[in-house]
Amino acid sequence: MIATHTFPYRVRVTVLVLFTIMSAIVTEACVREEDISLEQRAYQLSGELMCPVCDGQTIDGSNAQIAVDMRLKVTNLLQEGNTNAEILDYFSDRYGEEILAAPTGKGFNMLAWIFPALIVTAALGIALYTIKHMKSSVLNNEPKSSSTGNISIKHTDLSEYLDRVDKDLGIKKDSTIQAKQEKEDEEEN
Amino acid sequence: MADLGAMALLLGLVVSCYAAAASVLGEKMRIAELIVSARRSIYMTALCAAVASGTLIFAFAENDFSIEYVANHSNTLMDRAFVWVAFYAGNEGSLLYILLILTVISSISIWVAPTRLERSMPWTIAILAVIQLFYFAVLTLSASPFELMENVPEDGRGINPLLTHPGMFSHPPLLMGGLIAITVPFAFVSGALIAGNFGDDWVDVARVSAIIAWGVLGIGMLLGAWWAYTILGWGGYWAWDPIENVALMPWLVLTAFIHSIMVQKRRGMFRMWNVALLNIAFVLAQLGMFINRGGPVVSVHSFAASTLGMIFLSFMLASLVFAFALFLWRMPALKSDRNMESFMSREASFLVNNFLFLSVMAITLWGVLFPLFSDFARDVSVTVSAPYFDRANGPVLLGIVMMMGVGPLLPWRKASARSLKQWFIWPTAALLLIITFLVIAGIQRPVAIFAFGVVGFVAASILEEWWRGSYARHRNGDNWALAWWRLVNGNRPRHGGYIVHISILMIGLGIIGTNFYQQRTDGAISLGESLVIDNYRIQYIDRGDDSRPDRVAQWAEISIYKIEPSDYAYEFDLALSQGSNGFTLEDSTRRKNDKLIDTIKPWHGFYLDFNMASVRSGIRSTFIEDLYVIPRDFLNDGRVSLAVSINPLAWWLWASGPLFIIGTMIALWPQPAVETRPAKKNTKQSPAES
Repeated sequence: MIATHTFPYRVRVTVLVLFTIMSAIVTEACVREEDISLEQRAYQLSGELMCPVCDGQTIDGSNAQIAVDMRLKVTNLLQEGNTNAEILDYFSDRYGEEILAAPTGKGFNMLAWIFPALIVTAALGIALYTIKHMKSSVLNNEPKSSSTGNISIKHTDLSEYLDRVDKDLGIKKDSTIQAKQEKEDEEEN
Repeated sequence: MADLGAMALLLGLVVSCYAAAASVLGEKMRIAELIVSARRSIYMTALCAAVASGTLIFAFAENDFSIEYVANHSNTLMDRAFVWVAFYAGNEGSLLYILLILTVISSISIWVAPTRLERSMPWTIAILAVIQLFYFAVLTLSASPFELMENVPEDGRGINPLLTHPGMFSHPPLLMGGLIAITVPFAFVSGALIAGNFGDDWVDVARVSAIIAWGVLGIGMLLGAWWAYTILGWGGYWAWDPIENVALMPWLVLTAFIHSIMVQKRRGMFRMWNVALLNIAFVLAQLGMFINRGGPVVSVHSFAASTLGMIFLSFMLASLVFAFALFLWRMPALKSDRNMESFMSREASFLVNNFLFLSVMAITLWGVLFPLFSDFARDVSVTVSAPYFDRANGPVLLGIVMMMGVGPLLPWRKASARSLKQWFIWPTAALLLIITFLVIAGIQRPVAIFAFGVVGFVAASILEEWWRGSYARHRNGDNWALAWWRLVNGNRPRHGGYIVHISILMIGLGIIGTNFYQQRTDGAISLGESLVIDNYRIQYIDRGDDSRPDRVAQWAEISIYKIEPSDYAYEFDLALSQGSNGFTLEDSTRRKNDKLIDTIKPWHGFYLDFNMASVRSGIRSTFIEDLYVIPRDFLNDGRVSLAVSINPLAWWLWASGPLFIIGTMIALWPQPAVETRPAKKNTKQSPAES
């Protein structure tokens, strides 16, 4: 088999489509303020603010007095017409950045958000590269079959699959699964 | 009493020391007797750990408050059933529990290991012994559960109130057991590598033990989520808390492993990769132990805060160095037998799935560690919590679910265009149909609609394969159920896997429903008044006191009415104009279509010694949605402050559990062909040995 230097067209298209879908998801996952009632926005914001005196709980989940007060403050700020961003800023100015349940996308904190994107891109890149590499290099002792393609098509045909199912089920008397596997391998080589 | 436990631990320390030394010496000097005695020493350590654990549990049962650990974690008021929970409620006890599990599973795995692993067994035993040694040493030297009190108190401090929940009988032990169980496949694979046993002899042992650890960990996390849902009192079930994350990360890597190990089993590929995955999972499990025992990150699970941090950090770093030094040393020998043939093959899709799992793991790890980086780099504290993980991991998790539908439909080696078309047409149709249907039905939130479509895609792919496989059998005269069962039986790892996939889809449904379509309202109401949300009216009927000397507790009796929103049109309009979805109703006379459907009794308690509130939510669950009522507080003026939410599809989260277990069991059940060979050898081996 000759090593191809680019990924097959359909792989590139698939990757592109997946990325578009994922970026759409990230965009949509952000709160769309105008669509929901003040009350629901208050709940969402409560989930974005940490309770200062409890370990690792948001004010939404805490019954501490300060959490109750902060929930009230969120409601008041919303009724005064503040946007979500303004309210989060209000609290982070007073309590420090620690009060936000997720880091902002600004400055150093941008790293928190860039890294996941890099990880996924790198992971998919490495995966696809590895597959390509494993396809093109002659790795070990097994002699390459000259007619892999044909056999594979036959191998993956529905009828072939159903035959295998029959064998699995013991309709066609065949030996164990392992023996079958070995037989298949022999057939191919 | 306490002396017996302490002696058992000390003896265990000495014996596991001996086991490690004897095993290595026996191998190096070719003294078979030494190796056999090392093996038996491992059984001995299990006995030591069991005696120590038994002593502690007995001390709890006898209310022996002269032991500090018992005095700190139980009292005479406590329900006796929770003695078992108190055993691992604190640091020392939970370490003892972990050690008990470690020694027992080490013994079992050595006992049942197939003889073809004989060459690498001394090394496996040595690795297990060293890890046991570490826990024995920690328990003897710095975290002994058998420390005595100077002044014996009248009564103990009591158990942490958050732990007095049925879920606590099984959630922590399963989670800790699952984490420590990763040691077994790691020890077997590392042993094989040191011994130069590069074939695939270890594949079955590693696969089975990894699936057991994975299944136990998975069920442990699910039970933890259920516990959080019913007791933590904020309606959530997964908070992306550091402690949850450190259990999730090794689980994700194990999930990748149990998929890619099949590629090695069937095709002799990915050897290097599988070893690396197990190493990562093992090191992450050690990270979990470290963060659980006084790690540097803030968590709601602060029960185990201690000074053991440095010890566990060192052990984690040591295991990291060991695992990867060994890996790099033996890497050249771990070549694949075969080449990859196509992007459109199951091997390739497994590799992509593996990397997606690793991505979620890496993103989660990054989120857990980011506050430390921020502290270090800018001296500014930041928090990385649920909103971050939801957004960063959500899309990748959806991608993984998608792969769950694609991967199994691709054949090994290479798919032809024809088979792709044959297999993908129905799932794709299901995806499009579901999306179209939901859009026409007027459901909001595009992402959730797409996610529902993906769930449908995967479900259709599984059903399609089951249908085709069963149909082939059905034609030959079996009825459908029998046909399906024989299909499943024919390839248990595969079809057990599909059953687990279905349980994951159910969890997916629950996550989509609760995250995207939850409705909430809250308010404080007096007796007789009601809260109304969507098509429910809940009326406060009665209250009662459930206090004890150690707690102030009350319950409320609440009737749930199903209502016709049109009966309440005026009030709903008024509430909406004030920016609210729900409202309180002073006059609770029944309107025309109100129908009493259920009564719930949410409970709220405050534990004085712990300065901690604990609640039992009132939940009316159906498979469409949960009506979920949290009593936030009982106010002095007689009102109760309630938080009410409607959690669509939450039922599916918990219903997935049994299916997850069944699927895992089926996948694990030995295949007849594989079973017979090692079993025969085993029976020959055991008598010869003993």
